[in-house]
Amino acid sequence: MQTINKSDVVAVIQNFTAQDVYIHSEATSFVFVRNFRAHLTDCRIAGEGPYRVGMRFDGHGWLRMEGLTHYEVDADGRLLLAGYDDEGRMHVALELGKEPFPE
Amino acid sequence: MKRRLLAVFAHPDDESFICGGTLAKYAQSGVEITLVSATRGEMGRRMGNPPYVNRETMPAVREKELRQACAALGIHRLIFLDIRDKTVEFIDPESLTERIAALIKEVDPDVVLTFHEQLGGHPDHCAIGKAATAAFHRTSQKGSLYFITFGDAMAYPEQFGYTQNDVVKIDIRHQLEAKLAAFRAHRCQTEIDAWVWEPDHQALAKFGRYEYFLVGSSAAPQLVCDDLFPSTGA
Repeated sequence: MQTINKSDVVAVIQNFTAQDVYIHSEATSFVFVRNFRAHLTDCRIAGEGPYRVGMRFDGHGWLRMEGLTHYEVDADGRLLLAGYDDEGRMHVALELGKEPFPE
Repeated sequence: MKRRLLAVFAHPDDESFICGGTLAKYAQSGVEITLVSATRGEMGRRMGNPPYVNRETMPAVREKELRQACAALGIHRLIFLDIRDKTVEFIDPESLTERIAALIKEVDPDVVLTFHEQLGGHPDHCAIGKAATAAFHRTSQKGSLYFITFGDAMAYPEQFGYTQNDVVKIDIRHQLEAKLAAFRAHRCQTEIDAWVWEPDHQALAKFGRYEYFLVGSSAAPQLVCDDLFPSTGA
């Protein structure tokens, strides 16, 4: 994972919009959703760090997360976004894949 | 005759952080130890410090680190139940119990260790403990069942409604190096704890000298309070 570079993430996000995607989303310790499949209509990143991401899906849905600090496009082409604190603990994660994540 | 111990826990690191000294002690005395980890700890929030793990690499990283911890402790066999971290309590209890019962029959252990279903402290711990306890009774085998406990809590079992007769206290003073090596093997989980990475003599001084176990069920009367294998003798 590397510190979020906003313009890089914006470019990657484009590869996931206007299609069905699989989403892993979590607020660690409280909730996680894995392999939620949705048609991603639009996805934007905002803020100056930590960052916020908002997604519109299926023409009527929202997913919004904040506190994102790091990202990676992994070897499988998935976009992994996460928010770490300064001791390496993950607080939030938002991941997009074109195939289901391992269950 | 070869003595065998089966430990049924929830996450990579339960074996090291909670009872690593005892596992090392029995491994050193020739006990064959099988560890079952229900999950790969894939939903952990500690990612290393600085972070070197992400949500998707975590299962492989933690499996590798667990295997290193097993080597440090002398655990010879590791089995995963492939349940996702934080979902153990949502698995059908009957099928989970049956899977563990099959493992008990296969391993034929003298001692089974697991979590207490109420005192486990984490929903995954309580769920795997409940299933393992049910499996132990279902197989009605010869061995003894003990529940692992945290730190020195069971030095005073009365606060939990137990007596000293319900507790086995294992002296691990000669296994602290192995326990520390196991802590360090679980690198992504322990890097946040500065004391683990202090010079050995300082880190070792942070460990308690004993690990405590609650007696769950014993085929033979509990005659000694300092050994999990009372019926086979020291």
